[in-house]
Amino acid sequence: MSNYYNMPKLPTEASPKVEIFVDDKAVMVPGDTNLLEALKAVGIETPHVCYHPYLPVSGNCRQCLVEQEGPRGRMLVISCYTPVTPGMKIYTPASSARVKNARKATQEFMLVNHPLDCPICDKAGECTLQENFMEAGQNESRMRPEYGKNYHGNPEHQFIDAKGQLRGGKHVDIGPRILLDEERCVQCDRCVRFMRSIAKDEQLQLAGRADHTYITTFPGEKLDHEYDLCVTDVCPTGAMTAKYFRFQKRVWLLAHTPTISMDDSLGANIWLDHADGRIYRVMPRCNPEVNRSWLSNTSRLAFQQFDKNRLPSIDVSAIQISGGKVALVAGGACTNEDLAALKMLKETLGDRAELFGGSLLKVGAPDGIAKSGDPVANREGLKLMGFADVAELLKRAGEFSNLITVNADLYGEDAAAAKALDKISNRIALSAFDDATAKKAKVAFGIRHWSEVQGTMVNSLNILQKLSAAPTCPDEKLAPAYEVISALAGNKFGSACEAFKKAREYVPAFADITYDAIKSTGKLLGGNA
Amino acid sequence: MRVIKQKPMTVIERLYIFEAIRGLWTTLKHAARGLFRYETLPTISYPEGQPEVRNTYRAKHRLMLRPDGTPRCVACGMCAAACPAHCIFIEATQSDDPRIEKRVMRFDIDHLTCVFCGLCAEACPVDALRMDTKQIIFEHRSREDFVAHLYDLTNWDPKDYPDDEQSQMAPGGTKNAEARKVWGMEVK
Repeated sequence: MSNYYNMPKLPTEASPKVEIFVDDKAVMVPGDTNLLEALKAVGIETPHVCYHPYLPVSGNCRQCLVEQEGPRGRMLVISCYTPVTPGMKIYTPASSARVKNARKATQEFMLVNHPLDCPICDKAGECTLQENFMEAGQNESRMRPEYGKNYHGNPEHQFIDAKGQLRGGKHVDIGPRILLDEERCVQCDRCVRFMRSIAKDEQLQLAGRADHTYITTFPGEKLDHEYDLCVTDVCPTGAMTAKYFRFQKRVWLLAHTPTISMDDSLGANIWLDHADGRIYRVMPRCNPEVNRSWLSNTSRLAFQQFDKNRLPSIDVSAIQISGGKVALVAGGACTNEDLAALKMLKETLGDRAELFGGSLLKVGAPDGIAKSGDPVANREGLKLMGFADVAELLKRAGEFSNLITVNADLYGEDAAAAKALDKISNRIALSAFDDATAKKAKVAFGIRHWSEVQGTMVNSLNILQKLSAAPTCPDEKLAPAYEVISALAGNKFGSACEAFKKAREYVPAFADITYDAIKSTGKLLGGNA
Repeated sequence: MRVIKQKPMTVIERLYIFEAIRGLWTTLKHAARGLFRYETLPTISYPEGQPEVRNTYRAKHRLMLRPDGTPRCVACGMCAAACPAHCIFIEATQSDDPRIEKRVMRFDIDHLTCVFCGLCAEACPVDALRMDTKQIIFEHRSREDFVAHLYDLTNWDPKDYPDDEQSQMAPGGTKNAEARKVWGMEVK
């Protein structure tokens, strides 16, 4: 059962400011939140393991201890579960040796059963325990051979539970996508809380007591959920590791590109983690309004196909538009810049061209986490630009003699319905992939994938979000769609910024926005966010 | 301004011939020493005579081996992270041995880029990478040959390291048999 009482209240810009005393100094902090977030707001980081801003507070790691002046003197309290009250007196390690020692001792206890295999741990470099150790720990090791690695009697860290079953282990195959290392687990129960409160499917449990606590699934069941890879994100140690990323790359060698996942109209904010010209993993990028810090497996694992089955770049002159009506179809992954370029092409062609957008895929229901269920990512952008739905085109396919599809794999999405398009003789596909539509087209023109272009999109919450280009394009000659289309229209855009300027002419909602003014968390259209 | 005045030459010096003979004598003296008493020369005649290299000298790298012959490297990438010249390239993979989680699949050191600082050997947490081969001569036909691969780095003979106990545990070493016995149960 989810426990919503414990959900942390995060400070917003509208939070009332109250005065508290930190180390005997008066500071103004957000008044409607917990102490940990309040201290963070004034720049004091508190080490924590089990606390996560988007998970219910559990308060089991005791790492975020601070001292609070109370009626019975100064007491140690956990800052993640202490609400801010006006005038409270707080002491951090900066002034209190007691807090410093308490945190250090907590840290040492946490590491008693934790192996020192950081060199081979995939989490090393982004591990909360490592950070805390450097900040609050730094004890000399008091490990004894009878503790830690051999505590449960064997190197595999397995033991026999009360029912006589063999439990634990260094390589527990807990699900199809995740491997669990029981030895590295510090029982913060973040993964349990994630599955319980966010995924709403309680597949993980803490079993056993005290020192023998371990993470497990129900007997005979596996951890298998659309959001189960988020468990590896929330895991503060390397206990839960994703199988696809295991041993692929040390995390400090990865460069991060902030962008938007263009496979769903919620537009989950993501980091593309890449090195040597290839994407190694996709991580959720925290956006409180959109996907918080969650990402579905579909969006996360989609990157594995980004560099496969790509179309080569060819010369723009290969695209010949014959006489007769022209249908311009934009797919869901088209950015606003691509749409602006298409609209410009329509103006160049005059009345014989018509704009369509969308896909033939079914629109699902939003899951309330990081997916809206609509596969057309830029649906709102298509609406703002005045693109008709692609279903319209199928009905009137006979009228047209030219078809230009941009990132729209109509044949791949619904081959039966797309048969109507066979009537159009001159089919041109601009696509990143050599998909069914590209195969059936007269000219298949390779363009850049959305992970390799700059641009903007409007998500289903009407937030204008910015895409950045990761340097992972397999062929440098490939151009973004807006560049190719604008070249066809005879006014080539040099950059996404230029294309966005054009988009501002078409969409009144963009009128007072400049490309550089869009924040990393996006800009709410028609609002003041 | 300070002016240095040259000492005026003497009459004998100005005659030139005696000075020339004196210079020739110095040359002849050293030439004769090279011919008849060359062992007293402070230099070595390089290609024939080889310099003595200590085992603390940072020479070409080698990868230490476990008793079963697999490289000790766990592919953690610490050496690559420490390398100031960025000449180490590592790829990891899952190990077949259930006791070992991670094994190295590719380990390349580009000796043309390497500055032989020894930071990689310092950084290694499992003492897998060493620079005690005493090999200081690098001669190859092409640039590619200067890149030492996993095979080159692990292809060393324990007989060349008679005093090193760790090296003797590798296959072919004197302590390999007993190390193998321990290795069968050892916790890694």
